[in-house]
Amino acid sequence: MSSPNGLICFTNCLLPLEDGGLVEKDLWIDQRRGVILDAQDTFFLRNERPAQTIDLGGNILSPGFLDIQINGAYGFDFSIYEGDDLVYRDGLRHVAEKIVESGVTSYVLPTIVTQEKSLYPKLLSLLRPYSPPSSANILGWHAEGPYLQFAKRGAHAPPFLLTAPEGYKSVEKLYGAENLADAEDWLMNQGVLNEVGVRIITAAPEVEGVMESVSELTKRGIVFSIGHSIATIDLATTAVQNGANLITHLFNAMPQLHHRDPSIIGLLGQVADLSFERPFYEMIVDGIHSHPNSVRLAYSSHPEGCILITDAMKILDPNLHDGVHEWRDGKRFVKEGDKLYLEGTNTLAGSVVTLDKCVRNFSRFTGCSLGEAIKCATYNPAKCLGIENRKGTLRSGADADFVVLDRKGNVLNTWVKGKQVWSKGL
Amino acid sequence: MRLIIRDDPKAVGDYIAQYICKRINEFSPTADKPFVLGLPTGSSPIPTYKTLIKLVNDGKLSFKHVVTFNMDEYVGLPMDHPESYHTFMFREFFSHVDIPPNQVNILDGTVEDLYAECKSYEERIKSYGGIELFLAGIGADGHVAFNEPGSSLASRTRVKTLAYDTILANARFFNNDIEAVPKMALTVGVATVLDSKEVVVVVTGLQKSLALSKAIEGGVNHLWTLSALQMHPWALIVVDEDATSELHVKTVKYFKSIERVQDEVEKKHAGLRTKGLPAADHHQVGSME
Repeated sequence: MSSPNGLICFTNCLLPLEDGGLVEKDLWIDQRRGVILDAQDTFFLRNERPAQTIDLGGNILSPGFLDIQINGAYGFDFSIYEGDDLVYRDGLRHVAEKIVESGVTSYVLPTIVTQEKSLYPKLLSLLRPYSPPSSANILGWHAEGPYLQFAKRGAHAPPFLLTAPEGYKSVEKLYGAENLADAEDWLMNQGVLNEVGVRIITAAPEVEGVMESVSELTKRGIVFSIGHSIATIDLATTAVQNGANLITHLFNAMPQLHHRDPSIIGLLGQVADLSFERPFYEMIVDGIHSHPNSVRLAYSSHPEGCILITDAMKILDPNLHDGVHEWRDGKRFVKEGDKLYLEGTNTLAGSVVTLDKCVRNFSRFTGCSLGEAIKCATYNPAKCLGIENRKGTLRSGADADFVVLDRKGNVLNTWVKGKQVWSKGL
Repeated sequence: MRLIIRDDPKAVGDYIAQYICKRINEFSPTADKPFVLGLPTGSSPIPTYKTLIKLVNDGKLSFKHVVTFNMDEYVGLPMDHPESYHTFMFREFFSHVDIPPNQVNILDGTVEDLYAECKSYEERIKSYGGIELFLAGIGADGHVAFNEPGSSLASRTRVKTLAYDTILANARFFNNDIEAVPKMALTVGVATVLDSKEVVVVVTGLQKSLALSKAIEGGVNHLWTLSALQMHPWALIVVDEDATSELHVKTVKYFKSIERVQDEVEKKHAGLRTKGLPAADHHQVGSME
């Protein structure tokens, strides 16, 4: 499907706004450049109008979803590298091509799990985020660990956990300076660089040296996310004051809300003022990792910060049957609907929910509108990463990555860089 | 002059849109011989634009070979300002119909040399052989385009200071900040409108009723600039019931009676055309009242 002059007008559709509203309006894009146009400027200044009009039948034309925490999907585990670049790249391509069926057009990769920490720099630079054409974009790495709290390590194996005795220097040594992108490069290129490195680091502020690294990481445009931690409210507050801007899978791998010391969850209750901006927080809205009421509780207290994630494991595949599945190191998963356990335990091991389902769940759990739920999977994560001019938005100049949803939030088709890459029933 | 009375603004919009559709289709415009249409902004023409858009979507009308000239634009307001007439026209009309962008003409109030812009606008209109049909609305004070009360009835496209009333009325579009309302505009003149072959005016709502009465029941007067229409050979005013409130019963009855006559004459001529009789070549040159 391509337009004679490269311009397309989407009409008869609802556009999600950045405030969570939905408005009936046309949207013009330039298919050749893969970007959204300022329609009025195109008309009056460029003297052009789209040669092709696509009637969306009253459905929703949303920015493509962003998943900033996903571990794998469709049988491929992003965090496992078995020494073969080609195999790894094939895996990346396979997922990027398949995942668009859930409306996801951009995601952040997890880092590779390795016991041999000297391998990190090599692996990160070797396996630069790779985005094949006509499929989802990879925005960089989300390094979940290794600076995690032992008591809240979740599915992370104890031998992989580290401390950072030299603060930022330790972090730099671990990942390699070249993988910790400079803030200016990252923001100027709005996350479309192929050479981007680590975008998010999840760490526990109470682990030795971590607190000292927060401000330097933040200065470089890397999102510091508090997670797998038992930080007190005071410690968590200090981390935010130092620049921490995100909470990794809220409610999970952190202390429960205690009224005397509300810990990390308590950050959502802080009065925001000039010296304190409440962080974004990720939520896995599969109905299992957090009870629907907890989801609603968090969202009510800080709607602007909510980011929906899947935290999905490699067996994420909407078509996969329930039962026992292989993971790694001889361990196995048990999948029961949207539930996923390590075999023989009751430890939740990530999830198998798709992001489009999270959006629908979220609207149902919180009573918010579909437009407000969409915002939590588009604009909010983009803003957290500082790329809200390019992703997660319908601003002119942004990438023409879309998911077309029906009025109930079901994915009908998906577009990347102005081209349709998936359609229901095709 | 003809006056058509319909029940409400929607019916007025339908009538005018159907009328313009008929005129354009009878003209059978081509790339070499485009139909030149003058267009207004404001709330009154919106129902007309809506119906025109529907006619285009239904395949009954095309703007491929239509050239448009807008009446006016604020001075100093960026083209993409939400209250600019560029924005209005794009939002309400041009984005929804198949008109090629280079056939759209709107005065540019952001240029350094405003005089040159006005002069070139008149020249552009002339280069197309003048305007075939000018659609207009009016203000409560009877102004047509930004030709406020007191404007010369012989005026051409020019820079115009806005009346205090107009500035006050527009403040609601600028956060009620009078300082933010542009004080000047570029506008076609009364004579520019009168030069067009045909003028169609939409007048709806109670607050326009006095202006309508002054324009058609009073004499030609620069304090009610629409009254200049009395000097035009082919003028059509389409109003809703509310807008007739200040008219004499006699006036209303008169115009209602001639509407029937017009219908009969048109039917007869359409019949002649289908028979291919010589009368078919004689295009209408004025209203039949």
